[in-house]
Amino acid sequence: MKNSQLNRLCETPMPEVQDWTACLKTIGDYQDKARFSLLFEHFSPRVKAFLIKGGHLNEEKAEELVQETMIKVWRRSSTFSPAQASASTWIYTIARNTRIDCFRKQSRENLESLSADDIYDSSYEDDSHYSSLVQIRRNDHIDQQLKELPQEQSEVLRMMYLQGMSGQQISDSLGLPLGTVKSRIRLAIAKLKIGFASTYKPD
Amino acid sequence: MVTRHPDTDLLVEYTSGSLSLAPSISVTTHLQFCENCSNAVDSLNQLGGDILEAAEAVPVCEDLFEKILLGIDEGSPESASPHGAKITAVDAISDSLPRYVQQFLPKGKLRWRFLSPSLRLATISVGEDRHELALHRIQAGGKAPEHDHNGEEITVVLTGCFSDEDGVYQPGDFIVREPGDVHRPFAAQNKECICLSVLSAPIKLTGLKRVFNPFMGFSPS
Repeated sequence: MKNSQLNRLCETPMPEVQDWTACLKTIGDYQDKARFSLLFEHFSPRVKAFLIKGGHLNEEKAEELVQETMIKVWRRSSTFSPAQASASTWIYTIARNTRIDCFRKQSRENLESLSADDIYDSSYEDDSHYSSLVQIRRNDHIDQQLKELPQEQSEVLRMMYLQGMSGQQISDSLGLPLGTVKSRIRLAIAKLKIGFASTYKPD
Repeated sequence: MVTRHPDTDLLVEYTSGSLSLAPSISVTTHLQFCENCSNAVDSLNQLGGDILEAAEAVPVCEDLFEKILLGIDEGSPESASPHGAKITAVDAISDSLPRYVQQFLPKGKLRWRFLSPSLRLATISVGEDRHELALHRIQAGGKAPEHDHNGEEITVVLTGCFSDEDGVYQPGDFIVREPGDVHRPFAAQNKECICLSVLSAPIKLTGLKRVFNPFMGFSPS
């Protein structure tokens, strides 16, 4: 698409997108490039921030991975299901997997044709025993409560989810015992009220 | 019913992408059996999405969208299940395992190594050197020798069940053993037990010395 066409696209009156999940669904259903450009404008600078925070990537490589991520978003958009994830969740997992594969290639791990998508794949789940109500349940409170976490807890979550650091790496980086890092994670997750079977275990 | 689950911080590492390959496979395997943890993983991915959404935006090059449009015109949309063709169960045991696990098995028959009269092991190569991934198979009524652990070991029960001093483990149960934990697993009388196990391998070993055996506690010589 030429620049002139792009400009025309931008001039096309387009309602301001509030609901990226609905927008992504429309992109998938109708191969809607105009909406894809809006989704791109919103998410690609965030995906780039995510990639750069992970370290080990120069500007050029980060752009390349944003491109890779957004092409996957487009190609897989027809499989996107709002009942299972929001747009940001779905795009996050694609960006995360793209970053994992890039780091594994860089560290020359033998890929043996396995990609992060294969590892995380849940398409084998027999979802007949999952109630659709459970899938539709969205934790709308996470976003809000994230802002209310004590700084030391949100810092650890950001180091994990944005920078891709393990508990041990955070422990080394902050000079804190691993146990302290783990308890911050557990406290934060408990405050976000994310349901865990393991938290009910007596220990 | 699944009663043993991964810890919160392990699921956080899993969803944030810092957990390496073999342990990640063990977590996804557990999710095949556990609705609770699957829901927790969905919520943690959502947390990742929310953190991504709140990230301070870094501007991208002006021509990036054009490049992407060129890229998407070259390829076709991906199909809903790109993995179906990869599954190649060729024997009854492979066939009895969760389909998710089957994709990692070697093509051709599983090669079981003798560890003791009632215990066999088949290693699975997934191309990472920090952990060893393997299947363990305890004969019905069989006992594994009492053993210690050299590194952290994760076990997920796939079929059958086994018990040790601490309890009975059913399909889907996710058990973590730390170095120094001593136990003696034995399978149920009526059915053999197959488990997926991940052993952390802090020391890289090569060639014939690469004898790693989570259940037996062989030290590399």
